[in-house]
Amino acid sequence: MGVRTRNHVVEHGPQDGQPMLFAHGFGCDQTMWRYVWPAFAEDHRVVLFDHVGFGNSDHSAWDPHRYASLEGYAEDILEICRQLDLGDVVFVGHSVSSMIGVLAAAAEPERFARLVLVGPSPRYIDDEDYVGGFTRDDIDGLLQSLESNYLGWSSTMAPMIMGNENRPELSEELTNSFCRTDPEIAAHFARVTFLSDNRDDLSRVATPSLVLQCAEDAIAPEAVGAYVHDRLPNSSYVALNATGHCPNLSAPDETVASIEAFLAE
Amino acid sequence: MSREPDSLENTGEDLFEDAPCGHVSTRLDGTIVRINRTFEEWTGLAREELMEARRFQDLLSPGGRIYYETHYAPLLHMQGSVRAVAVEIVRADGSRMPALINSTLRRGDAERPGEVWTSVFDATDRRGYEDELLRASKREQEVGRRLQRSMLSGALPSASELELDVVYRPAEKGMEVGGDWFDAFWIDDGGTIALVVGDVVGHGIDAAATMGQVRSAIRALVSTGLTPAALLERLDEYAWRHQVGKMSTIVFAELSLGTGAFRFACAGHPPPLLAFPGQEPRFAWGGRSAPLDAYGFDGSRSEAVESLPQGSTVLLYTDGLVEHRAQRLDDGMERMRSVVAAHHSKTVSTLLSRLMRDVPDAEHGDDICALAVRLAPAD
Repeated sequence: MGVRTRNHVVEHGPQDGQPMLFAHGFGCDQTMWRYVWPAFAEDHRVVLFDHVGFGNSDHSAWDPHRYASLEGYAEDILEICRQLDLGDVVFVGHSVSSMIGVLAAAAEPERFARLVLVGPSPRYIDDEDYVGGFTRDDIDGLLQSLESNYLGWSSTMAPMIMGNENRPELSEELTNSFCRTDPEIAAHFARVTFLSDNRDDLSRVATPSLVLQCAEDAIAPEAVGAYVHDRLPNSSYVALNATGHCPNLSAPDETVASIEAFLAE
Repeated sequence: MSREPDSLENTGEDLFEDAPCGHVSTRLDGTIVRINRTFEEWTGLAREELMEARRFQDLLSPGGRIYYETHYAPLLHMQGSVRAVAVEIVRADGSRMPALINSTLRRGDAERPGEVWTSVFDATDRRGYEDELLRASKREQEVGRRLQRSMLSGALPSASELELDVVYRPAEKGMEVGGDWFDAFWIDDGGTIALVVGDVVGHGIDAAATMGQVRSAIRALVSTGLTPAALLERLDEYAWRHQVGKMSTIVFAELSLGTGAFRFACAGHPPPLLAFPGQEPRFAWGGRSAPLDAYGFDGSRSEAVESLPQGSTVLLYTDGLVEHRAQRLDDGMERMRSVVAAHHSKTVSTLLSRLMRDVPDAEHGDDICALAVRLAPAD
C-alpha cells in the first residue's frame, strides 16, 4: 500500500517548491492546519497527512506494535518523505508531532531543512526536577475520559453544520468529523504520547528549529517549551500571545507570521 | 391583567440564573465572564472567584483538561459547536461532578469580542448507568473467554507412540472470544485417537456456546462408531435440527496408532498438512465437502484415508494461521508448507511455535488454532 492512501496525503502548491510537511497532534487530523497551510501554498509544496488510525488514513494499516512508540510514527514521516521524494523539508509539527519530527530528523538529518515545533513537550509526566505538568494519575484520568466519551462517540463527533455561518465553505467538509477515531486507537495513541520520554533525543538534532510556545498551555506549559529550546542545539523560541494548546486554530495569523519570520531568517 | 414591562425581563433573568442546566460564558481563550446560579450551586464555586480569574478548562479534572485541549477546543474552533462531551468538573470541595457539556462559539467582529457559551448538564446518574453498561460488556467478554478456556483446557491424550501438541491464540484486536476450537481424545483404549479442529461462525458468548454444543455432539457421535463422513452427516442433522453451528467448518480425523491409517473428512475446512519422513510436506485434498448445515443434511459427505508411515506428522489448523490481511491464502499455505519442511525434524511443539512466530502479531485479527500430531519414528 502506498503512503498516499495509508496516510491520506494531500498536496497543495507548486511541486517544485520547497516541501513543507505538516503533522497533526493527538486528537484530530490534518484539518488542524486548515487556517495555516494556505499562507504557504503559493511558494511551497505543502504536504498534509493523517497519522495512521486518524482522520481519513487507512485504519486497517494501524498496528499496535508498529505504533507502540513515537518512533513508529517517525518512520511513517520518513516513508512519506521517501515516497514523495521530499528533500530540504520544512517540517511543521503540532503537539506530540513536534517530537515525532525531532525523532525523524534525528534518524535522517539530511532530509530536513528546518523544524517548526508548535507546543512541543518531550515528556508530559513530572520526573524529579523536571516539570512536565502531569502525574501518572492524570494520564489515567485522560484514558478514563476517552472511555467515557466512547458511548457518545458517534453522536459527539458526528458532523455538525451548525454555527458556521461565518464560514459556509466548511459545511461540505464537515461531513467528515475531524476528531473521530476508534476509541481503542485513541487510547493507545494517548498512552504512547503521554507516557513518552524523548528528552534525550533533543540534543541529537542540529536542524535549525523554532519552538512556538503559547501562553497558559495546559498540555505543554511554558517551562517545557523553554526546556526544549534549551536542549535543542540550534533553536529559536517565540512566545505567542495566543493561549491554549492549538494556536494553529485559535491564532492562525500569529502562528503563520512567526513561521514566516523563521523561514526568512 | 397586564404584566409590568420589566417582569418579562425578570423572567428571562430568572430563567438564565435558575435554568435546569449550568451555564458558563467565556472568552475564546476560556476565561470565564459569566456563570449562572445553577452552576454555582452544583459546583460550590462562587462567581466572584471565577469571573475574569479562571478559565473553564481549569475547572476540569486533569484528564478532562487534556481531552478539552486536544479534542474539544479544536472541534469548537473548526465546527463552531460541540455537543454532549463527557467531562468531570472539580467542585469547590474537590469532589468531581460528571457532566455533559454543549458549547456554541460566537465568533467576534469589530464591535464585540468572540464568546463561547457552554451548557453544563449534571450527568452523575447517567455516568453511573454508563459505567454499569461498560462493566456489563466487559463481564460478558470475560464470561465468553472463561467459557472458551474451560472447553479448550483439559489434558491432551498421550502415549509413547505419539507426540501431540496444540497452539491456540485468540484474536488480539477486539475483546470478544472468537470461534476457533480443537479437541483430541481416545476413541478406544489407546488404539485410535480422534482429532478435531473447527471454526464456528461468530464471536463472543454465542460462539463459545455453539462451540461447546458442536464439540459435545461430536464426542457423543464418535462413541457410536461412525466413520468420519457418516459422523459429519449426523452432525449436519444435529445442526439443522437444533439450529446450532450452521456454516461452521470442521476437520474431523481418526488416527490409528497401530496401522498409521489416517481417516478424515473436511467440512469446508482447510486441508490437513501431511509431512512424511524424507518427503516434501503436502496437503491432503481428499474428503472434502461443504461447511456444516450449508444445505441442510443430504448425506453427501465424503472422507479419505491416508496411510501414515512411522515418523509422519499431521497438522490440522484454522484459517487464521494461513490467511490474514497481508497474505493471500495460497501464499499462507505455501509458507506453512515450507516452515514444516524446514522444521520437520524438531519436536511438534517447536514446529508449532515456529509456525506461530512467522504470523505477524498485529496482522492477526482472527483466532489461530493449530494441532500437530506425530507418530513416533521407527527405532
